Amino acid sequence: MSQDNGAHAESGATGATTDASLASRAKNPKKNGPKWWLISLIAVIVAVAVVIGVTLAYAKKDNGTASGNGAAQANTVTIGLKLAPTNLDIRNTAGSALDQILIGNVYEGIVARDSKNQVTPAIASSWEESKDGLTYTFHLNKNMVFSNGDTLDAEDVAWSINELIAKQYHDADALEAVSKVEAKDADTVVITLKTPNSNLLWTLTGRAGLVFDKDAKYDLKTQAVGSGPYTVAKFVENDSITLKANEKYWGKNKAKTPTIVVKYLADDNAAVNALKSGDVQVLAPITENLAEPFTSDPSKYVVKAGDGTDKYVLGFNNASGSKLADKRIRQAIRYAINHDELIASRGGADKALGGPIPSLDPGYEDLTDLYPYDQDKAKSLMAAVGYSEDKPLELTLTYANIYGTELGDQLRSQLKPIGIDLKVNVVEFSTWLQDVYTNHDFDISLVDHNESHDFYTWTDPTYYFGYDNKDVQKLYAEGIAATTDKERDAKFAEAAKLISEDAPADWLFNYRITTATAKGVEGFPFDLNQTVLPLYNVTYSLAEFSQK
Amino acid sequence: MRFVIRRLLLFVVALFGISVVVFAALRILPGDVASIMAGINAPASRVAQLREQLGLNRPLVAQYFDWMGALVTGDFGTSILTGRSVTALIGARASITFPLIIVGLLIAMLIGLPLGCAAVLARSPRVRMAFHVLAIIGGSVPALWGGLLLILLFGKGVGLVGILPSQGFPLDGWGEPVGAMLSLILPAFTVGIIVGASLMRYTRAALGDLANSGYIDMARSCGMTRTQAVLRVGLRLAMPQLVSVIGLTFASMVTGVMVIENLFALPGIGNGLVTDVGNRDLIAVQSELFLLAAFFLTIGLIVDVLHRLLDPRLKNASGVSEVSA
Amino acid sequence: MSNNTQITVSHNDGGRLRYGFAGRAAIVLKTMWRRGEGKFTLIVLALWLVVALISLIWTPQSLWATDGYHVWAKPSASHWLGTDGTGADVFSWLMAGSRTNLLIVVLTVAFSALWGLLLVSAMVARASALASASVVVIDALISIPTVLLALILAVPLGASITVIVIACGFGYGLNLARVARPSALLAARSSYVESALANGASGWRILVSHIIPNIVPVLAVQLSLSAGTAVLAESGLTYLGIGVPSGMPSWGHSLATSVKLINVFPLTVLWPGLVVTVVVVALNIFGDVLRDAIDPVTNPALRQTAASAEKEDER
Repeated sequence: MSQDNGAHAESGATGATTDASLASRAKNPKKNGPKWWLISLIAVIVAVAVVIGVTLAYAKKDNGTASGNGAAQANTVTIGLKLAPTNLDIRNTAGSALDQILIGNVYEGIVARDSKNQVTPAIASSWEESKDGLTYTFHLNKNMVFSNGDTLDAEDVAWSINELIAKQYHDADALEAVSKVEAKDADTVVITLKTPNSNLLWTLTGRAGLVFDKDAKYDLKTQAVGSGPYTVAKFVENDSITLKANEKYWGKNKAKTPTIVVKYLADDNAAVNALKSGDVQVLAPITENLAEPFTSDPSKYVVKAGDGTDKYVLGFNNASGSKLADKRIRQAIRYAINHDELIASRGGADKALGGPIPSLDPGYEDLTDLYPYDQDKAKSLMAAVGYSEDKPLELTLTYANIYGTELGDQLRSQLKPIGIDLKVNVVEFSTWLQDVYTNHDFDISLVDHNESHDFYTWTDPTYYFGYDNKDVQKLYAEGIAATTDKERDAKFAEAAKLISEDAPADWLFNYRITTATAKGVEGFPFDLNQTVLPLYNVTYSLAEFSQK
Repeated sequence: MRFVIRRLLLFVVALFGISVVVFAALRILPGDVASIMAGINAPASRVAQLREQLGLNRPLVAQYFDWMGALVTGDFGTSILTGRSVTALIGARASITFPLIIVGLLIAMLIGLPLGCAAVLARSPRVRMAFHVLAIIGGSVPALWGGLLLILLFGKGVGLVGILPSQGFPLDGWGEPVGAMLSLILPAFTVGIIVGASLMRYTRAALGDLANSGYIDMARSCGMTRTQAVLRVGLRLAMPQLVSVIGLTFASMVTGVMVIENLFALPGIGNGLVTDVGNRDLIAVQSELFLLAAFFLTIGLIVDVLHRLLDPRLKNASGVSEVSA
Repeated sequence: MSNNTQITVSHNDGGRLRYGFAGRAAIVLKTMWRRGEGKFTLIVLALWLVVALISLIWTPQSLWATDGYHVWAKPSASHWLGTDGTGADVFSWLMAGSRTNLLIVVLTVAFSALWGLLLVSAMVARASALASASVVVIDALISIPTVLLALILAVPLGASITVIVIACGFGYGLNLARVARPSALLAARSSYVESALANGASGWRILVSHIIPNIVPVLAVQLSLSAGTAVLAESGLTYLGIGVPSGMPSWGHSLATSVKLINVFPLTVLWPGLVVTVVVVALNIFGDVLRDAIDPVTNPALRQTAASAEKEDER
């Protein structure tokens, strides 16, 4: 095909020269002009055609080799995710993108969590907790190695946790209750606490419990040496990670697919196109509103929403002196927000959330009845403070541009009839961190608090909400000190209800991730997959592939 | 010669000025990389500790001289966040942006120069008008929209004739040369058509002025046809002006294609810069901005000098004498 | 070309330009209207103005009428171009966008005109050090692209109209100064200015009454070009998140919204882009047509009024 075009181009070109020379010989300028422009026009068209032709010919070849490799392609599964890590330094850099890709895949913790947010064995095969809740004894697996061949034993575990505390790495504050971590022998680690902490085990499933090789030297920002089923073969910041099965892997979560490529697709449309054109086999998350082409084609795709702990928190500034210090205004806002409508506009997958604890966290209770959508009630509350639609209260909503402009626009129009003139200020995330998070300079803020077990933020009056309730703090402390899960859950639930009644924030919804996969992809977790994403089980079956 | 020296001196002074301005401006930004690294559940002590660790608490003057000192030796520093050298970061991004703008510029020249000539040579006023309208419309299309239309026509997945990858760059980058080339076609054509239209206008204007000037008449009186005269003499005389335009266009395309990079999800220079600013990775940002500014100034310098070298009419005139004339 | 300027030098000085301004404007408009492309540009620009004014008091739907149950809706009788991600009416936003773009264009043109004239007066200054320095500085600055400038400005200022106006106006002013310099220089060195200086006229007075009238044709073309480019720049910068802030309607906003729609309802993309393209075409032609209509050399109708004005002066 390209040759055809080439031939055309050549004949076109020779034609042009002969025409031109003929034209120049004929000394009739009137006939000259139009031919020249015609010739240049043709030249342009031919040039364009050649370029397209050549590339198309190559494109065909390219597709050919791709499907030729198809038989071996099941060796690689490409997964499209959204939020990209800027480096691999899981000890220092915050962000769930790192937890998502590294924990359980490249690094392993002393314990792990499953997709229901429950603690499961990992490096430790079993553990005991003393009656007083102050001593945890972990029994480790045997014959464990890191991907570089170094053995992994209790020394590495104790060193990793002690180092975290000593150097105050990310999440070190979650281990404040720990007094010491010791390797009793090669297979046993003992953690001793100052005070009981019912959250300890869960905390150790995250960054606080990760085990690093104490003898390995590598650049934490661009490399990773762990004991998980995969190793990082290639990392391009803000773009992609290539994982290869760890040949030295010691455990039972052996990688089923030799190579997994994770491509970060920040642009929603680009992500959808990538799945459509087969560049990726999995897309998590996919914008619910854009999932239509996939949901309508169940023979080729599977689309499913999973549970998660993402809480879209419309946080009010509760500090005294704030415009929102008056509880009636905060309550009015909560009554005025039509959560169902917000959720519907996002595609309907998300779940209403009436309080600070999502369904996968301890202490969850459905609190959505506390503040049902009730505009009249909202209006009368605002009227009691002295505001109405004609004489509105001016408030500013500050939030980061990563959440899109839609929510702000919707809230502005929902709050307008009750007498609130909402100015929406969409800023860079770092500006939000500075103004809202650090300086508490805001009226209303909106953030997706995606971390699990972050209920403690409501017990810290210095946190940006500025929420200070002694009863809540007491209940939380009791819950933490509880030695049974049941007792802890009851205390947390009671505290959560108190908080929700106080209306220090509105919980817009519990964001549920919608995941779309090509048919034939198995083992990809749907729940919690933005923080916990074990990939060892993921396969893409060839039978489906060739049928397609 | 005096002109070149003057211009070089100005170049150095400008670079120094830019380094100061860029450095200072970036320190006014709200937020810093330490709070980004610490995230939204970290206690203030953690942020403070990171700040200390990353050297953000050091006096600004010292930070500036460290940076400048390294710059002079050709070391652009290491990105705080990614831990990679700024040179490597820029290299990776430039390997997308530069091919894009070079191919785009080639397409633009293929479209703009011949059509521009044709527009001058055309005898019939109607044809001329048609060229004129074509150039104006081509130059009036918003890049974003032009790109979208091309995606809707040719993009895989959404397009009417879905034959070309619409967004993104292959995973292996240039390790997959065919795929990489393919993914640049739509963006390059978007750039090419828009820039081509303005190039066409410049060519038409430059040649048009000359076509009515004595040079062409003289050439014709020497026995050339009008077409020959315009193409042989006119183009040569218009060349310096066109070289200036193309050079400056090339420079401004480096950041000018940002919208297109964004639309086509290509991790180029512009997109990278925005990401780094967003992360407050100041060492990376200041070096990137500095390099960009240096690049623009260099191209400007080269274009100016070339202009003077190419234009026979300016050979003996220095910039100063021209002003005082 | 140089011939033309010399003729205009002798015809245009400030006193006469002010004479019968309304009458002159009417003649200019009439002349423009007589040409086909003039009609087109005048109609488009008038329509723009009218729609912008109407949008101040009426749009088919309120901009803030969000409806979460009907987002990304296809065009229908109540939503002519469908709805966006909040359920707001795309057509109303597009309509309201015209006023923001009008404001941006007016501000940008004003800013670049002032800045450009400032540079022009520096370049034709009698102090040769100032003149030559400004020429070199402009040559150096002109290579700094608008987008980069906007990016830097957006960092402290955030997304705002100011960013667009300053970033665009700065570059266009430089361009304007460069292009206008030859005719300005000719005017500045003309015998009219020599005699005015001899009579003790101030620099400001010379600028207003001798130099500006002589670069009006260049100004007309350059400013209308920059008006068009400002509309284009707005759409790009807003898409990048450093232009018009969220919640403010603009064509760039509509275009950026439609980008989100391409997988759901691709045809919506057509309209905002079409509006921008048509308006920019009109602005680009406007300059050319205006230059021809405003210049007594090419517009005989104006020559007649000038001649009659001279006669009146003689009386």
